[in-house]
Amino acid sequence: MKLHRILAVVRRHLYDMRRNLDRVNDSFFWPILDVLIWGLFTVYLSDRLEQGFTFVNFLLGAIILWGVFYSFQRDLAMGFLEELWSRNLINLFSTPLTIWEYISGLLLVNLLKTAFGFFVAATIAGLLYHFNVFSLSVYFLPFVLILFVFSLSIGFLITGFIFRYTTRVQTVAWSFAGVLQPLSCVMYPLSTLPMWLQRVAWFFPTTHVFEAMRQLLAGGGFSMEHFWWGLLLSVGYLTLSIVFFKIIFEITRARGLLAKLA
Amino acid sequence: MVLEVEHLVKTFGAFRAVDDISFSVAEGEILGFLGPNGAGKTTTLHLILDLVTPTSGAIIILGRPLKTERSAALQDVGFSSPYVSLPYRLTVLENLKVFAHLFGVERPTERIDYLLKLFQIEDLKKQAVAQLSSGQVTRVGLCKAFLNSPKLLLLDEATASLDPQIAHEVREVLLTAQREEGVSILYTSHNMAEVEKMCPRVIFLNHGRIVAEGSPVDITRAILKEEREEPALEEVFFHMMRQPNV
Repeated sequence: MKLHRILAVVRRHLYDMRRNLDRVNDSFFWPILDVLIWGLFTVYLSDRLEQGFTFVNFLLGAIILWGVFYSFQRDLAMGFLEELWSRNLINLFSTPLTIWEYISGLLLVNLLKTAFGFFVAATIAGLLYHFNVFSLSVYFLPFVLILFVFSLSIGFLITGFIFRYTTRVQTVAWSFAGVLQPLSCVMYPLSTLPMWLQRVAWFFPTTHVFEAMRQLLAGGGFSMEHFWWGLLLSVGYLTLSIVFFKIIFEITRARGLLAKLA
Repeated sequence: MVLEVEHLVKTFGAFRAVDDISFSVAEGEILGFLGPNGAGKTTTLHLILDLVTPTSGAIIILGRPLKTERSAALQDVGFSSPYVSLPYRLTVLENLKVFAHLFGVERPTERIDYLLKLFQIEDLKKQAVAQLSSGQVTRVGLCKAFLNSPKLLLLDEATASLDPQIAHEVREVLLTAQREEGVSILYTSHNMAEVEKMCPRVIFLNHGRIVAEGSPVDITRAILKEEREEPALEEVFFHMMRQPNV
């Protein structure tokens, strides 16, 4: 792994971001809009239901954390799709750049983008609704880490599928998280789901993150149980997704699909 | 040898795209790589760039086996093809900077300025690739191919989208680079007159196999079975097309 090659990939995407309104929208516009709309809606509901401030916190926390998860996994796949759309893959991989250096570069640039989007959304939530996510950051950070690890494994999975099936499956990059959202109990507790679905949802690290977040915001303290479940599951999925991606990448090269992708 | 290809085979299912070919490229040599569509030229180039894994055989670049020393081997290789492009929102300068950093080029700005001038596109430096004509993109691609001062240059139809004047100038630049810097070039083209001018040695591929190898005039004599003083690769090409078993 050479740092200058990883930074070259970062440079390529930062240059692109300066002129690409789509990416700016994805990173900032939608997270801000989500916080505004859901924040106002929950303030309204809280007034009506007289459930107090915790209810607003539950939803705002969920929106901000889900935003981190969604944008990170989507942008990893989007970064790869950008190379496909601009027919640049052959140029990139005919240099000494390795696939793992390329992925590392994408990861780094998306970490920067997601962190910036998170900061903007959290600041707006603090200013408008007095929801200070930063005051809870010590307890939140382990769960943010789990979200990153799990979104990375989803990113590997989706990028692997795009390597194999090209742009025919590109919508998966945007829509996959939508399938996960109801099962991850982002906006409601796990107990809301039917029992059989609860057993399925238990195996998503995101479920543990949002259960733990609600427990934390309700004053129930840091949940070690959800933390360990979330961490073990996300690391397990990451390992599997890397193996999957490596196999798919080798199949793609063996079948000459990498060259045809361009 | 700059490039050694030994018993290279690539199969896709039952189809043998590259069928046990061996050849080498010496330092400073320009080797023409010819053949009809589907002959295996581009697949061979992709195998040399490690974009496709071979079924069997070996590729050695400057003494480094591609299979085990990929990054080190490709550090000295340049590649250009009009059939690939560059990120279209980025300017010419930004694109070239990205590739200069990928190769770890020292003093990238100086190198980029030199190449832009060499290929007469210094005025396009700040333009987005999306705004360029296909010929201009081809020349940017050639700048990219020269960024790392390669010892081996793989050129896939390098002049295909250029007008005759620019194509002539690009050929002159390539010949100058070959003379002055000792760059070895593996050159595929469908322009037979161009190959006759550029390449002292030529390999003809058909159905994935090498069917002729030698100087353009030797190949002309061998395939047409006539005594000729001048090369006639276009005739050779048509002759091969009429004889599917060649």
